[in-house]
Amino acid sequence: MKNFGLFNLYINKNNYAKSRKVKLLTCSLLLVISFTVVGYRTISLASIKKDNTSKIVYKNLQSKAFHKNSRGNIYDRNKKILATTINTLSLNINPQEILNKHETINKLLQIFPQLNEKGLLKKFNTNKKHVNLLREISPREYARLLHLGVEGLKIQKRPKRIYPNNSLASHILGGTDIDGKGIAGIEKKYDAQLKSGKNIDLSIHSGIQHITKKLLLDQINKFEAEGGAGIVMNIKNGEVYSVVSLPDYNANNYNSILSKILFNKATKGIYELGSTLKLITAAIAFESNLINENEVFDVSKPLKVSSRVITDFHPLNYSINIPEVIVHSSNIGSAKIAEKFGPSIQLKYLKLLGLTNKLPLEIPELGRPQVLMDKRILTTMTISYGHGIAITPMHLASATSTIVNNGIKVDPTLIMGKSKIQNKQIISRETSMKMKSIMRLVVSNKYGTAKKAESAGYLIGGKTGTAEKINPNGGYFKKKNIVAFTGAFPINNPKFTITIMIDNPKGQKFSNGYRTAGWVVAPVVKQLVTRIAPILNIKPQLESSSKLSDNLFNYKIRGKKKGENL
Amino acid sequence: MIRYPSFLIVFVILFAAISLYQIKHVITKKEIELHQVKNKINNVQSDLKILKAELSYLKRPDRIEHIALNKLGLKEVLPTDIWNLKDLENVKDNLNNGEHK
Repeated sequence: MKNFGLFNLYINKNNYAKSRKVKLLTCSLLLVISFTVVGYRTISLASIKKDNTSKIVYKNLQSKAFHKNSRGNIYDRNKKILATTINTLSLNINPQEILNKHETINKLLQIFPQLNEKGLLKKFNTNKKHVNLLREISPREYARLLHLGVEGLKIQKRPKRIYPNNSLASHILGGTDIDGKGIAGIEKKYDAQLKSGKNIDLSIHSGIQHITKKLLLDQINKFEAEGGAGIVMNIKNGEVYSVVSLPDYNANNYNSILSKILFNKATKGIYELGSTLKLITAAIAFESNLINENEVFDVSKPLKVSSRVITDFHPLNYSINIPEVIVHSSNIGSAKIAEKFGPSIQLKYLKLLGLTNKLPLEIPELGRPQVLMDKRILTTMTISYGHGIAITPMHLASATSTIVNNGIKVDPTLIMGKSKIQNKQIISRETSMKMKSIMRLVVSNKYGTAKKAESAGYLIGGKTGTAEKINPNGGYFKKKNIVAFTGAFPINNPKFTITIMIDNPKGQKFSNGYRTAGWVVAPVVKQLVTRIAPILNIKPQLESSSKLSDNLFNYKIRGKKKGENL
Repeated sequence: MIRYPSFLIVFVILFAAISLYQIKHVITKKEIELHQVKNKINNVQSDLKILKAELSYLKRPDRIEHIALNKLGLKEVLPTDIWNLKDLENVKDNLNNGEHK
């Protein structure tokens, strides 16, 4: 057989030389193929193609070089940096490498006058090879060090968490410890993600956060109050645009701030928020179908229940219906309404509105409401006007949002784009419409308690509340109040909820000695809406606009004189 | 006598050895370059982070507000500064109706 093809390996015993040739050729071919494959692979692996390399380098740098050691940023909803990590330089020294200690100390003191000679000498005389002199030095100081040529220096890069906006949203951002571990706020809640280099986009709007803080702070100062909280929240998706707790602090100094200032009044602090809770009472009344909206309640005399006497701040000497109970903020009327639907229905709706549990908000500092659940009729009555129920301002904002959002549950969130639009109907669309109509009257009607919140064109609706402050040692402070407002705008088609709380304002000359919510909080709401509405692209509209009348009922509210007809 | 296949094998081996040496040399150089580039990128990224933080510091709402009110003489937007075209039409209609009456 003369065929020496690769696959024809039949060899005749007599043709030994040919057989050797075949073997040699086969081996050679195999070797050539192997070397070719190995060579090609080596060259292809080692080839430096421009496009490939940049991608690989970029990928490596992204995944290893930076993110491994760099904590992720926290942004506001417009991608403004709220928290970031930068490298700072720390000054260390190896005393064993210093030839002339006194000369080195003199040089160091020229640049860092805050260091003292004795302390430096003590550090230089140790047997250690690494001594930290300063945790942080500026680039300018670093340049001077290089210029002076100090021997034995060791400059190390250290990551440092910084908050460029100082106190803006400090209670929400929280802080990190010296090792960069999140110990409060978003920093703690999202510690794992931030550590792995992921960024967090908050729903907070820096501009609105600042305006809320500024207006609230001005009012706190005017009324010599102890502090306050302010919330602006998107009704449709629960995204919180601003959440302020005052007094606040510079987030860059978290570890040196007193715990009292670190306390988040908006989400952690629980307060009896007084008459703002009457909104919930009215909503339950409409929803339970046990009370006709035209049904009237006699509020002309104080109501005595067990040992308690329930009175009104603005007494009326005739019977009033539900809208009038809310507009005049009648405790007696509210108590009588609650008496009708009873404790079980009240508790059911408080639970549905999320007022008995912690909120599902993305920070660890959350307050658990305290609600008297003894189901006594007196408790039901007092809860109806906001006593015997302590909640956070954020709870109130959430419940208000649900009431005006056609009754669909709204859960607040601090993370942008996280919320899913819910379909959990808590109260009916009709009840929601009635509530919005009444809330508008509280602000627009001449007898309304929140008249000072009226901002022409922006159609604010809401409810004020003034309550005695709880004494931690039991009972209430008679001369200390918590004043609050909760509401929404534009009320004919609500887009944003506003909840403001001020802690212990003092009566002033310009307020005729009053320290009620109508005097203290309502003006803040007016200014706040006027300033943030253009930012939120909410245009002013005429009260006579058809949109308004289509979406709201027109209830007649009687004044203080008896005899006026409905 | 060196046969053709043996010559080929020796040639391939030599070629592979030289190629590998060259590649190793090039890669070592490239690795050094890569390391330098990585360091540069690292430093630039670090500087960039500082600049972004500084920019954020300069764009603080309180600072912008101060500049807008005190240096640029800007004022807050009032509801009366913004009008809906539809509302203007309504006002016009109301005025016309009033005139007819």
